[in-house]
Amino acid sequence: MRAQVIDGKAIGARIRAEVAAEAAALAAQGWQPKLVSVSVGDTAAAELYVRNQQKQAESAGVTFEARAYPGETSLEQLTGILQGLNADPRVNGIIIQRPLPEHIPVKVLQKAVHPLKDVEGMHPASIGNIVYNDLALGPCTAVAAVEILKTLPLPMEGLNVTVIGHSEIVGKPIAFLLMGLGATVTVCHHMTRSVAMHSRAADAVFVAVGKPGLVTGEMLKPGAALIDTGINRIDTPDGPKTVGDADFASCAEVAGWITPVPGGVGPVTVATLMKNAVLATRMQMEHYAASYAKTDF
Amino acid sequence: MSATIIDGKAFAAKVRAQVTDHVARLKTDTGITPGLAVVLVGEDPASQVYVRSKGKQTVEVGMNSYEHKLDPQTSEADLLALIDKLNRDPAVHGILVQLPLPDHLNSDLVINAIDPAKDVDGFHISNVGLLGTGQKSMVPCTPLGCLMMLRDYHGSLSGMNAVVVGRSNIVGKPMAQLLLGDSCTVTIAHSRTKDLGAVCRGADILVAAVGRPKMIPGDWVKPGATVIDVGINRIQHPDNPEKTKLVGDVDFDSCAQVAGAITPVPGGVGPMTIACLLANTLTACCRANGLAEPEGLTA
Repeated sequence: MRAQVIDGKAIGARIRAEVAAEAAALAAQGWQPKLVSVSVGDTAAAELYVRNQQKQAESAGVTFEARAYPGETSLEQLTGILQGLNADPRVNGIIIQRPLPEHIPVKVLQKAVHPLKDVEGMHPASIGNIVYNDLALGPCTAVAAVEILKTLPLPMEGLNVTVIGHSEIVGKPIAFLLMGLGATVTVCHHMTRSVAMHSRAADAVFVAVGKPGLVTGEMLKPGAALIDTGINRIDTPDGPKTVGDADFASCAEVAGWITPVPGGVGPVTVATLMKNAVLATRMQMEHYAASYAKTDF
Repeated sequence: MSATIIDGKAFAAKVRAQVTDHVARLKTDTGITPGLAVVLVGEDPASQVYVRSKGKQTVEVGMNSYEHKLDPQTSEADLLALIDKLNRDPAVHGILVQLPLPDHLNSDLVINAIDPAKDVDGFHISNVGLLGTGQKSMVPCTPLGCLMMLRDYHGSLSGMNAVVVGRSNIVGKPMAQLLLGDSCTVTIAHSRTKDLGAVCRGADILVAAVGRPKMIPGDWVKPGATVIDVGINRIQHPDNPEKTKLVGDVDFDSCAQVAGAITPVPGGVGPMTIACLLANTLTACCRANGLAEPEGLTA
């Protein structure tokens, strides 16, 4: 093995430590950061995920309230619940857990979250800010993937980057974040004629598709960084296993740096959610302060 | 010269004719006339020309044009009040604030005060995000015009390698999103890009939007590629130092030798921009009234 394996857990822990300090500073000013998680319907699928978020939040000094609503809750009721959370000054961030029941369109709910409380970075206004290179609250996985690249000794300006996958919440925001940092970005997807042609030219490759084994070592330029945001459950002779979108063994032979799955982008993503929670809290504090100031005249 | 010249003037006329037809049908069927409000603050001569031209073309396609010319010293509060009024006016389906605004006005704040559904320039942060997340939005006019020309010339763009040179908010970034939406493999190149020539040579579709006269030479173009030149640069006339001349971001003569198709400057992308503004106003009007969107005029 040639590649250096990137320790996402360590990066996540470092971010959480920074978040904890910031959370304590905010709490001292009367703004204890608080996240509310909203699950609807069959919560078993997301339960492990929610519990992990709760644990991480607590270790980062962020209050976490997990709410679960029955599957038959209507869109109107959920929108009302979100409006209540939007208006509640004690709530600083709202997480909408997926999957949602079929009758609940996720984009409608994401739009119903106030942009200042959009810790998942899914509101169109949050994405718009990313495109305009004004990073407020970014989608967690995309921000985490880019943060990981930033820990490597690679100059961002002029870096050739290939992003495989053009999803709205991972691939595209990664592309815009990197472009803002001065990288030359190519976005590939299922209609791309030769992904390998583009990935082999790249100093850094991001993969966010949801297909195990999609990227192999021969698709990489020797020494390139490979950031794998895929999380796929597969069955192996040794039982079920979680793998990324890259064939780790062959990629690790060629890449200069590689993120493992699990233990790569995942832990940084949850830490980024906590970072967004304190960012959102600070933005709300400043927003209120600005409106107090206006009462002076 | 081997390249097919993409005639933006003729294509823009076709788009305007489509808009005219649709507006006429809309009036007969529903009694609704789309309306575009243009707000101009100050007396910038170039802006005055644009606003006049926009108003004239709006009326020509059968829509209502509402021009609001404000004093250069107009306060932010007064401008925001006007926008608020236009947001609530059911006869106004599109609102355009002519940029640049005088220095004392915050253009981000002003643009984001426009109702996103009426933001026919597509600059509101929500429209940027909606486009970024593949949802229905108002799309900036210049890149929309480029997309229409590319679709008209190629039919499907799926799987083509597209390189967008320039990462501006009003052209480069939305252009990249639109090309991704049409399933191109997209590279966004810019001033920091290493070996720009090599990157450009990989393009089946090359869109230049940097604002540097004749920056892209013919040997950066892949033989047979389609070149869309968004640049409009005024340079000194080569034969007459007292005259000026408009040129694009690509060196037309050398690129036309290599490209399969190319847009000229002037007469390429330029005329499409106002045509798309009219198309966007019509689209906004249809959406506001719950009617089917005009075919072929949206992203």
